[in-house]
Amino acid sequence: MDWEAIRLSLRLAFSSSLLLAPLGILLAWPLAYGCFRGRVLLEAVTSIPLVLPPTVLGFYLIVALGPHSPVGAAWESLTGTRLVFSFQGLLLAQVITNMPFFLQPLVASLGGVDRRLLEAASTLGSGRAGVYFRVALPLAWRGLLSGLILSFAHAIGEFGVVLMVGGNLPGKTRTASIAIFDQVQSFDLAGASRTALLLLGFAVTVLACTAWLRARERA
Amino acid sequence: MKARFTKTFPAGPVIEAEFGLTLGCFGLTVLFGPSGCGKTTVLRCLAGLERPDQGLIQAGAEVWFRPDLPPMPAARRGIGYVFQESALFPHLTVAGNIAFGLHGWPRAQRRARVAELIRLMGLEEFAERRPVEVSGGQKQRVALARALAPRPRLVLLDEPFASLDRAAAEQLRHNLRQILQTLGVPAILVTHDPQEALALGDRMLFMAEGRIIRDGAPAEVLSATGDAARAQIGEVLRARVTGRVEGLLRLEVNGVPLFAPDPGGEFTEAYACIRGEGVSLEQGPHGLLSQRNRLAATIRGIEPLGALRRVRLDAGMPLEALITTWACSDLGLEPGQVVHALIKASAIQVIPIET
Repeated sequence: MDWEAIRLSLRLAFSSSLLLAPLGILLAWPLAYGCFRGRVLLEAVTSIPLVLPPTVLGFYLIVALGPHSPVGAAWESLTGTRLVFSFQGLLLAQVITNMPFFLQPLVASLGGVDRRLLEAASTLGSGRAGVYFRVALPLAWRGLLSGLILSFAHAIGEFGVVLMVGGNLPGKTRTASIAIFDQVQSFDLAGASRTALLLLGFAVTVLACTAWLRARERA
Repeated sequence: MKARFTKTFPAGPVIEAEFGLTLGCFGLTVLFGPSGCGKTTVLRCLAGLERPDQGLIQAGAEVWFRPDLPPMPAARRGIGYVFQESALFPHLTVAGNIAFGLHGWPRAQRRARVAELIRLMGLEEFAERRPVEVSGGQKQRVALARALAPRPRLVLLDEPFASLDRAAAEQLRHNLRQILQTLGVPAILVTHDPQEALALGDRMLFMAEGRIIRDGAPAEVLSATGDAARAQIGEVLRARVTGRVEGLLRLEVNGVPLFAPDPGGEFTEAYACIRGEGVSLEQGPHGLLSQRNRLAATIRGIEPLGALRRVRLDAGMPLEALITTWACSDLGLEPGQVVHALIKASAIQVIPIET
């Protein structure tokens, strides 16, 4: 088995969850409770990765992160390295690609929090941030956890975007799902099936966890 | 404090409210009216949970609402709100719930305040329990403690007893006035229960079909309003307790003795509420009336009320009898006539006045 690729996948998924969670928590707030005109647009934008083909998303990410883009150029002048075809670039791409998997369960849970509890908090002197962080978010912990698990799992499995933005550099951007592609290409079916089975087992475990969380929330 | 505002919901009636309120000292105002007349909306507008369409809400120099300004957020109005079903934070303990509004307080002061309220509400045993682990009555105590902890300038109570069983409601009702009085906080209590209104209120705002139509002492407001509330509770008379005889309470209304079931407890003043169904009329000889609850009464008026007749009487106190149309004609009742009114003891409800 290609342990290097699996280790890289895990490192990438952990890092992307770590970055994605605080960002997603801030994004979920206006998505769940905002009442402004741009909400629908924000909802659409944050859901784009769900419907767009990974290659299309990957293509735009290359354009956006490439050395001639503002982001890529700023990164290069700051660190002296390229953003595309690097671990950092891949990480950024993963955060964007997996955001909807984090947001959807969290926003649903936040929407299910009893409004009166939020009102009670505001009559007790809590501002919007207080209401969100002290009441809404703790009560939506199941959605938060589901979101974390789903986005982590999706980060492990992402293929198209990773291939487009990261390429296939062993130890740097060659993740487990890309390793499987490589193994199949080089007729190492036994190796591919071992890695595939590992990912399958992982996926089943993850889905069982989130299903359980959802069942508990409804109860 | 001054409030005058209107609020319209897409499919509902226009809610109109106008009243003043003294902040800074205890006083319990009852916002009374039938279900669905807009009481809760008035409360929510005051709290800042709902935005009125028009009007002005002002507390001293502070403007809480004016149509041309963004409304002052609920968080900064310094009010305590108790919801119909406690709305406790399920992820916090009882003590944690009470401490919620004390976020910015120094630790030692916060602890002391929480301990004080736990003692005041008799929640010592439950401090570390979660809301799901305590009874409905205790939940409402916690909700009240939570609302009172940050020393609000005004407490708003939205039918706080509605979700409780009778015994628990009775007990909390008994404490409520005392607690608010001890803390010196003014409060507005929403209720559709006339007994609750009488037992607790210093003042009553009577609401019907979205408007506050009367404002005054609870007994007077109730007596003046006829219809539904009256039908439910009857004639409300202020009475003095003059003794207890054979399990009955001896009351005096304008010097006229009445006997009524004893609700228990120590009190010297009460409201006697007499429902018209419990009053029957007889033609009788003039002269001495020695029987209990048999009063000589002059008929002041007779009005049809569905299949019944409502006979308004003066028996040294205003009284009403609901009798059938046949009985009315059999007795040949006419205004000005003197009859005997018999009041069933069980038709008199005694509501102690808490002082």
